[in-house]
Amino acid sequence: MKPVATLQDVFQGAVLAGDRAPGLFVREGLNEIGGFDLYINAYRARLAAALKDNYPVLHLALGDDLFDQLASAYIEQRPSRYRSIRWFGDGLREFIDQNPELLPHPALADLASMDWALRAAFDAANADVCRTEDLAAILPQDWPLMRFTLHPSVNLLELNWRIGPIWHALNQDADAVTEQPDALDHTLLVWRQELECKWRSLEIAEALALRAVVRGESFAEICEVLAALDSDLTESDPSMLAASLLSQWLSDGLLVKLTAFI
Amino acid sequence: MQNIISGYGLGLRTEHYADFLADSERLRQRVDWLEVISENYMVPGGKPLYMLDQIRRDFPMVMHGVSLSIGGTAPIDVEYLRHLKVLIERIEPAWISDHLCWTGTDGLNLHDLLPMPYTERALRHLVERISQVQEFLGRKILLENVSSYVTYRADEMSEWEFIAALLQRSGCDLLLDVNNIYVSSVNHGFNPQHFIDAIPATHVRQIHLAGHENHGSYIIDTHDHPVCDAVWDLYAYTVRRLGAVPTMIERDDNIPPLNELLDELDTVRRTAMQNLPLQVGHA
Repeated sequence: MKPVATLQDVFQGAVLAGDRAPGLFVREGLNEIGGFDLYINAYRARLAAALKDNYPVLHLALGDDLFDQLASAYIEQRPSRYRSIRWFGDGLREFIDQNPELLPHPALADLASMDWALRAAFDAANADVCRTEDLAAILPQDWPLMRFTLHPSVNLLELNWRIGPIWHALNQDADAVTEQPDALDHTLLVWRQELECKWRSLEIAEALALRAVVRGESFAEICEVLAALDSDLTESDPSMLAASLLSQWLSDGLLVKLTAFI
Repeated sequence: MQNIISGYGLGLRTEHYADFLADSERLRQRVDWLEVISENYMVPGGKPLYMLDQIRRDFPMVMHGVSLSIGGTAPIDVEYLRHLKVLIERIEPAWISDHLCWTGTDGLNLHDLLPMPYTERALRHLVERISQVQEFLGRKILLENVSSYVTYRADEMSEWEFIAALLQRSGCDLLLDVNNIYVSSVNHGFNPQHFIDAIPATHVRQIHLAGHENHGSYIIDTHDHPVCDAVWDLYAYTVRRLGAVPTMIERDDNIPPLNELLDELDTVRRTAMQNLPLQVGHA
């Protein structure tokens, strides 16, 4: 009698290797189809479907055939270690960077990052957001040392291509013919407001200011970051610019409700 | 919403969130309770948990997991159980279930419901693990019989003998999937009524019905079709044999508008009423 563990090791090894006759089963090798091969096929089909769920726009951009090739390569190299299939595909961007030949255009790697970030924002942790009246309660002398926390759904992606137009086009029409994207180094902000996932491309000033928030810097330090910017890039003085960014972040629901001053 | 499970239910699917939010009063007349897939809500926040909380206010619920891997040979994943417990505390389900299967080994997850060998050694292994899980969660669990497409050479008994022994030795209960019994009976060539006959009725807490894909010489358990005639017949037999057990329809793919599932659920109700032994009341 084989230990259960040995039997499971052989079973799993055969699913991963696609070996239809691992020597475990009655009638093994006699079934044309409808036996162990169903497990072999279902494994790949299920993981490929999970990747399509997690990378919907990349799937639209690549089409079924190219996406399936990418999915097969990924599944082969990076079998799931997660309990829930929801997290399968977390390493796809890194995998693409290591195997760039799997994509017809390098900009699609940025689309993968965007898909994953939107998926993460969808069910990221909840948090009460900061509102205008919360900031109104801050005393003027406390402002310089104020620190803010971003909502748990916020993600700042460093991208190399202007992929917004492709994303919009494919979301409106899955068969849309899209232009080749322009090369553009920029930061993409992805977050969830209430239950809706959102994104927008950031100007340099806002990207730097949000990075400063992520680093836990104070309002005064954020103003210093903005002051150090090349004047060509900013139109208003640093404190005015910081105030207008804060106002934008409040209306976007990017900041978590303040729990204590400083 | 109190959590008394009786009568006839559905698996909650994202496609029907809007119906359950907009029309809960009318739907309560036609759906007695809902089953949710645990892993879909074992997430940090956002829409899934928001919807779950809203719908839970109006419907009794049970939780159904897919990745406990009770038959696996790696140590029980305590982190998974901790997350499961958080969800249990959130929605207070009447009971929780998972599958009598394993899902992977050596740190990997094949995300499939893989059959156990029906051996004495596997029984002992399962009894030990069920006890660990029930102790950790502080409650009895239900396990569901899965469909299978292979028969192990190592098997020492039939699936129904294995399950009956497991229920008696472990004290856990059974989520009896009538469709899975039918699927396996065709794939392996046994009489599905023998399976039902062997199950100790006192351990059957819930029944699943579902559709499948019939390829002639074999059947795949796809949950993407309505329940077929042969499964309705087997359900009628099950009700005659086991009496009133809370029963639901599972639909996971090719998901139709809710009204179609409600009509199908009426068929479940009618079939059960027509076949209930006279001395047993409504489920």
